[in-house]
Amino acid sequence: MDYDRLLNLSMEMGYRLLESGAEIYRVEESIRRLLQAYGLATGEVFAIPNCIIASLVTPEGQVLTRVRRMPSHGTDIEQLERCNDLCRRLCVERPPLDEAERRMDDLLASRRYYSFPAQLLAYFVGAAAFVPFFGGTWRDALCGGLCGVAIGLCLTFLSRLGTNLFFKTVAGGTVSGLLALGLRVVGLGQNVDFITIGALMILVPGVLFTNAMRDIMAGDMMAGISKAAEALLIGMAIALGTGVSLWLARLLWGGAV
Amino acid sequence: MELIQTYLPPCLYAFVACVGFSVLFNIHGLGILICAVGGALGWLVYLAAAPVFHSDLLQSFAAAVFISAYSEIMARIRKCPVTAYLLVAFFPLVPGGGIYYAMEHAINGETDLFLNVLFHTLGLAGSLAVGVLLVSSLVRLINSYLYRRHRKRKGA
Repeated sequence: MDYDRLLNLSMEMGYRLLESGAEIYRVEESIRRLLQAYGLATGEVFAIPNCIIASLVTPEGQVLTRVRRMPSHGTDIEQLERCNDLCRRLCVERPPLDEAERRMDDLLASRRYYSFPAQLLAYFVGAAAFVPFFGGTWRDALCGGLCGVAIGLCLTFLSRLGTNLFFKTVAGGTVSGLLALGLRVVGLGQNVDFITIGALMILVPGVLFTNAMRDIMAGDMMAGISKAAEALLIGMAIALGTGVSLWLARLLWGGAV
Repeated sequence: MELIQTYLPPCLYAFVACVGFSVLFNIHGLGILICAVGGALGWLVYLAAAPVFHSDLLQSFAAAVFISAYSEIMARIRKCPVTAYLLVAFFPLVPGGGIYYAMEHAINGETDLFLNVLFHTLGLAGSLAVGVLLVSSLVRLINSYLYRRHRKRKGA
């Protein structure tokens, strides 16, 4: 058995799981189980949100270790489900390494994503539906959808420039806040607060927050605390972005809006 | 009839919003429906708990417990990670309004109101967290109990 390849395979699995937003215990357990399935009880894994370290001792007594650094990433449930499924299957069926590697490659090659227009539509629908949910009218919902699209464009554009999450969120909050005020001045929107809140739901760190809680409960304090800190930081970024747009509006219209 | 009018529209909005958000998290097929139904039912629990608890902190807690349990069950049925359903179905409960109103008070210089809203928002986030923690630790407990029993039987 080629233990280098086995380590690489399980590392790739862990990396893809972490990349798609899995909890830390899932990443660690998947790597450990894969190593165990191929007959290595000596595999050790340590993962935090931006790094995985895996180490094993071969039956000949040789020590193999690998470290992978994780850049910042989003959430991709489709990839998470499929990697999890593949990991389960590999652990049960234990195919030869060639076949296991091929299946991993196939999985990565056949990933599906929604097209950019479809994603913009999703931003529109998500933000628009939250406006009447919080008490806005139908016209507000339309404005909220437009603000959602503006946030989506803003996030996509800034991600391409490689901006960090904090700045992206501040920018998104400011843009949507200003757009909501603009639509109110034009006369399309009726309640600036409901429009802004609906659009802000896109930026709110609900995902990070729930994941942080699950990590803390699983005993991964490092991961949980770093995610919770990130969620808090994003919450502050949203407040800052909204604050900037409200403050600018006060300056321009003198509190009339 | 009156009941339908108070309960149906908000749940419907939550449903549609969750459909939008599941696309953003790259969920395909049946998963979208499960997430959206989870979001709508979670909000229904939140609304239905109002006459019992008279406190939105407890209502959030009840809805969080419901959604976590729902996600655990759905994840067992479809054999996929719990996170998938939990993330999206939670969105309607996230206190997004609190952040905005707190900031509005801060800009207006109303420090009392600002602190009031801020702590209330943090409280809501906290009660969501406690709900999720409670269910996921209970599930862990049950799982390890079942696993141990399974191993004992195998050994005997």
